[in-house]
Amino acid sequence: MSAIEVRGLYKQFDPPKGAVAVDHVSFEIEEGEIFSLLGPNGAGKTTTISILSCLLRPTSGDASVGGSSVLSDADNVKKQIGVVPQDIALYGDLSARENLFFWGRMYGMSGAELTNRVDQVIELIGLTDRQNDRVDKYSGGMKRRVNIGAALLHKPRILYLDEPTVGIDPQSRRSILDGIKDFNAAGMTILYTTHYMEEAQELSDRIAIMDHGKLIAVGSQPELVRIVGEQTRIDLSVDRQATALAEEWRQIPGVSAVSELEDRNLRLLTDDANSLMPRLFESARAMEARITEIALAEPNLEAVFLHLTGRALRD
Amino acid sequence: MRSLSIAWKDFRHVYRNIPALAMMLAAPLVLSLALGAAFGSGSSFSIKPVDTAIVNLDQGAATGGSGAAIGGQNAGATIEQILASPDVKDLVVLKKFATEGEARAAVDNGDASVAVIIPAGLTEAVSSPSGKSASITIYRDPSLTISPGIVSSIVQSAILSLNGARAAAAGAVAIVTQSGNHDPGVLTDAATKTAQAFGQGFQGQPPISIDSRAPSISASERAAPNVASQVLLGMMVFFMFFGASQPARSIIDEQRNATLARLFTTPTSRRLILGGKYVAVFMVVLIQSIILLVVGRLVFGAHWGFFGPVAVLTICGALVAASLALLMISLAKTPAQAGAFSSAVFVFLGLVGGNFVGSVNFTGPFAIVRRITPNGWLLEGWSKALYGGSWGSIGLPVLVVLASSAVFFAVATVAFGRRFA
Repeated sequence: MSAIEVRGLYKQFDPPKGAVAVDHVSFEIEEGEIFSLLGPNGAGKTTTISILSCLLRPTSGDASVGGSSVLSDADNVKKQIGVVPQDIALYGDLSARENLFFWGRMYGMSGAELTNRVDQVIELIGLTDRQNDRVDKYSGGMKRRVNIGAALLHKPRILYLDEPTVGIDPQSRRSILDGIKDFNAAGMTILYTTHYMEEAQELSDRIAIMDHGKLIAVGSQPELVRIVGEQTRIDLSVDRQATALAEEWRQIPGVSAVSELEDRNLRLLTDDANSLMPRLFESARAMEARITEIALAEPNLEAVFLHLTGRALRD
Repeated sequence: MRSLSIAWKDFRHVYRNIPALAMMLAAPLVLSLALGAAFGSGSSFSIKPVDTAIVNLDQGAATGGSGAAIGGQNAGATIEQILASPDVKDLVVLKKFATEGEARAAVDNGDASVAVIIPAGLTEAVSSPSGKSASITIYRDPSLTISPGIVSSIVQSAILSLNGARAAAAGAVAIVTQSGNHDPGVLTDAATKTAQAFGQGFQGQPPISIDSRAPSISASERAAPNVASQVLLGMMVFFMFFGASQPARSIIDEQRNATLARLFTTPTSRRLILGGKYVAVFMVVLIQSIILLVVGRLVFGAHWGFFGPVAVLTICGALVAASLALLMISLAKTPAQAGAFSSAVFVFLGLVGGNFVGSVNFTGPFAIVRRITPNGWLLEGWSKALYGGSWGSIGLPVLVVLASSAVFFAVATVAFGRRFA
């Protein structure tokens, strides 16, 4: 049975003229799977997760979470999920321990069961020594860990994590990613949203790429990479005329996509980098531009996104 | 259980917020202190003694004439002595001047509130049976009413006694004349002795006096509301509503801090969340009121009435303040909107409900208008409690306040549900 089944989800804010945040999205997440929604800011990832958390009602469509509809059986959905919001949703004037006790009670826990579980979670997130300090005295990484811990107290079947590594140091990020793998190994189904390609690649069994509210591709990483074939990504820096060069290079045979990044940087996709390189230098010289830096990368999800949207993931 | 957890969390948050606490507890006390200082905190208003200029131009009885002093003195000196007597030392501070011009100038310059100008022939007019007259001039600061009135009353009572002495002297002369004795020496002696006897009687124990008494009441009933309790009551009820808006604002704070959205992802219903918020606001307002009642009693000497009605009215006040504050917050979308909206509504209610005039029992249109507000009803109940009112007398206000509270909470629940649908 699917842990989550999304069918034709559509969300428009302030209809009929408001923005469409999620545009007829459908996908399924299997039990025990780590499933990532990958896309740039504003792609509709958070709106999708909000609907699946019963925070927002879809304009149309439905979703089943753990066999319960988000429209007609929200209570049962909420009992089965743990939600780690993008923002730090904790009480800064309470300690980590007090916060965990509070959130545990909100899931209906009490007594020895709650005390034991709080102890376990505090150990799990590595805050035993600082558990009685006020949360607003914590570093960003420590707050993130408590933010995750609060969603684990009731041992949910399904865990949603909405961009949980935004704005933290690499060490805390590594700790969080390793933790997510451990939760999954313990049998938890994970729905993870991110705009970091590397995180989606490292964690996910399957990835759904979203852009402008639409699901543009779903599959495992190898399946998605096959969409763009064996194309190589070339990142170049030029000293001037990046826009004009991009236009020029789009006309060169063998170039399948060109996108202009910030600071006179360009990104190209090609099947044959070796034969293309001399032509790029020749073309730049003809336009009195100079290539100052060049880097080649094998096909990845970034290339998939560029191939499908014509834009880089970080655009 | 979940509601109580939310309430406890909010409650602790409020009591860790020093500025909010200052607003809820210090503001009503400071305002009451200021108003108490203006009106006095005892059982009556205190009045500053009146600076009084006096000039006595009366030379007493004419040499060899028929003038008579009262009690062995001249009439002007008698009035001066009355104004300077220890009996009126809390009311009058006397400053003597040599001329009428100087006395008037003292009033003109603001050095005195009133000038008493005693004319030259006052004693002669008092003791003259033939009907000579004299006028005492009261020269007053036109901007004052109470202070000159006090001095005028004292002088007026002295004039009444002088006129009484004159009438007694005239009567004595008439009796001697009717007996056939027209000797001026005898007539003068009779008039003088009669006037002196009247004056001594006036200065001693008067034959007729007023004994003013209130009905006999018990000691507890004697604890009538003083100025402090009336002023503090209005402030307390006003700040119950104002104080409630502070913890109620946690809804908007939680929305901004994303904890409200997180609460909505848990299996805790919106109704339980709002219920928890309501309990927290109620507890905060209740404790605020109890502190104000105790401080009012200990510091200002306020008399609140019997314990039972006071307890019920305090609880009712906290209930209605909490539900109205939650309603205001449920309708606002931003902290700024919540602050402006709540302040405007609570100040309006305070003005219409009569919070700024204490527990005064109004009649007429204002009494009707104030009944459209929950705080107006609350003050009406409190007014009765302050005067030792029974359960029956506060029944209607309590019912109306409880009904208002229920309506406000019901509307707040609908507004909260719609806003976060």
